[in-house]
Amino acid sequence: MTDLLLAYIDPGSGSLIIQVVIATIVAIPIFFRTQIARVIHAVRGDKETEPTADDRVDAS
Amino acid sequence: MTASTPADAVAAALDPAVVRDPGSYRDPGGFVYRRNGVLYRQIGPASIEEWNGFVASGLAERLIAAGRLVGHETIDISEAATPAAQAVIRPDPIEFISYPYEWTFGELKDAALLTLDVQLEALKAGWALKDASAYNVQFRDARPVMIDSLSFEPYVEGEPWVAYRQFCEHFLAPLALVARRDVRLTHLLRADPDGIPLDLAAELLPWRTRLNLGLLSHIHLHARAQRRYAANEDEGQAAKRARLDRTRLTALLTNLRGTVKGMDWSPGGTEWSDYAENTSYGDRATADKLRLTGQFVDAVPGPRAWDLGANTGRYSRVAADAGKRVLAFDIDPAAAERNYRQIRTEGRGDILPLILDVANPSPGIGWAGEERRSLLDRADPDVILALALVHHLAISRNVPLSMLLALFADMAPYAIVEFVPKEDPMVRRLLATRRDIFDQYTLDGFRAAAGERFEILREQPIEESPRVLFLLRRR
Repeated sequence: MTDLLLAYIDPGSGSLIIQVVIATIVAIPIFFRTQIARVIHAVRGDKETEPTADDRVDAS
Repeated sequence: MTASTPADAVAAALDPAVVRDPGSYRDPGGFVYRRNGVLYRQIGPASIEEWNGFVASGLAERLIAAGRLVGHETIDISEAATPAAQAVIRPDPIEFISYPYEWTFGELKDAALLTLDVQLEALKAGWALKDASAYNVQFRDARPVMIDSLSFEPYVEGEPWVAYRQFCEHFLAPLALVARRDVRLTHLLRADPDGIPLDLAAELLPWRTRLNLGLLSHIHLHARAQRRYAANEDEGQAAKRARLDRTRLTALLTNLRGTVKGMDWSPGGTEWSDYAENTSYGDRATADKLRLTGQFVDAVPGPRAWDLGANTGRYSRVAADAGKRVLAFDIDPAAAERNYRQIRTEGRGDILPLILDVANPSPGIGWAGEERRSLLDRADPDVILALALVHHLAISRNVPLSMLLALFADMAPYAIVEFVPKEDPMVRRLLATRRDIFDQYTLDGFRAAAGERFEILREQPIEESPRVLFLLRRR
């Protein structure tokens, strides 16, 4: 993590830690959505596709 | 490694043609300066590798083409401010530099969304924003654009977003405070150039904002985490080992974007927002005032007009339709916001609404009081429009007419000013609750005050109204 030490603004210890916690929580529904989609695709025998960042942005 | 050695600083100080931007000192990777009035950005040894990579990546080109990042021209290194320069660029000029505390709610929100969208797009291309300062966004043709071409660094898989905290302090906190508490809290941005501290935002926000998952996370828990880890070296070391894969980082940014998108504020209920629709004079008078304003604007040379007390921008549109580029200032955030929304709906780029109290314009703030310049220091209009404004300043704010006109003369070579005499119902209303101490507030008094600094080119009574419109040229 040497790169963070080069950041010219102070990222803040608390801000780094809380962002990992929040990111992990908000990623859970996305993770399950992806898994469910994967199962559905597998059952149907579709080709697997990953949702793009754009899809997720639009869904927000 | 820094861009400037002491010898560089001396060299720059010795070159009288180079003026370093007082607001460009935080990033050691480079800085902005003017040479003979032209704006340049010098890239130093600390950032040259990143810069070359960013330009070669195609991301820069895409962001510029999409209007999200300001374009630039690469300039010969001989134009550099100091010998340490590795590259010099000339950014496309921005007409007027405005600051977040002058923006409407919608402008701040659009700037926030732009920042997140750029970060999301950068991430897909393997890059990341290394800062998320609201001051890195400006308005060009009434749309937000990022102006700091040096804000990009290669994304390293696993790293959290270094600018997360800055984004929350510069964007999310003021947006939440306006949406959930009071529009006047954007004044806090003027008090602190580093944004609104999250513990303060958390304290000022209503308790029920904890029920909003986004605000609970990004402001309330964020503030608590900051407090917990502040000045704790061991845990600071732990924070530096914090890991976040790309999927979770994207989820965080998407959630942040959704939270910003969910912040809403409806411009109603403040003093002036329905003023234009509720004027104290009739349709004939309005039509005549529109016609005269158009005539006077046409008679004035130069492209830049500042409409002071623009309200929702009716007369700003007259000036814009006559070919001017207009800054539409108003004291009322609701009126300015309505104007902004209308402009975005119309898709026009020649009017930019901003918030301003003429009796208390933005001061210089930040380092040496120069980092963010005062409004008057940035004032370069060719003409000022002051319609239905003078009586508010002269009577409600006790500003003598000669001081008022002196300010206009300091700002612009031409002024179009409406004088609203005491017999006008609007002024009668202003005087209803106070003693009339304004002996000088007469048409003759106005002429005399104007004459101190201006030549009166035209003086035209507005039909079916006691009001008079003046076209003034600075002596």
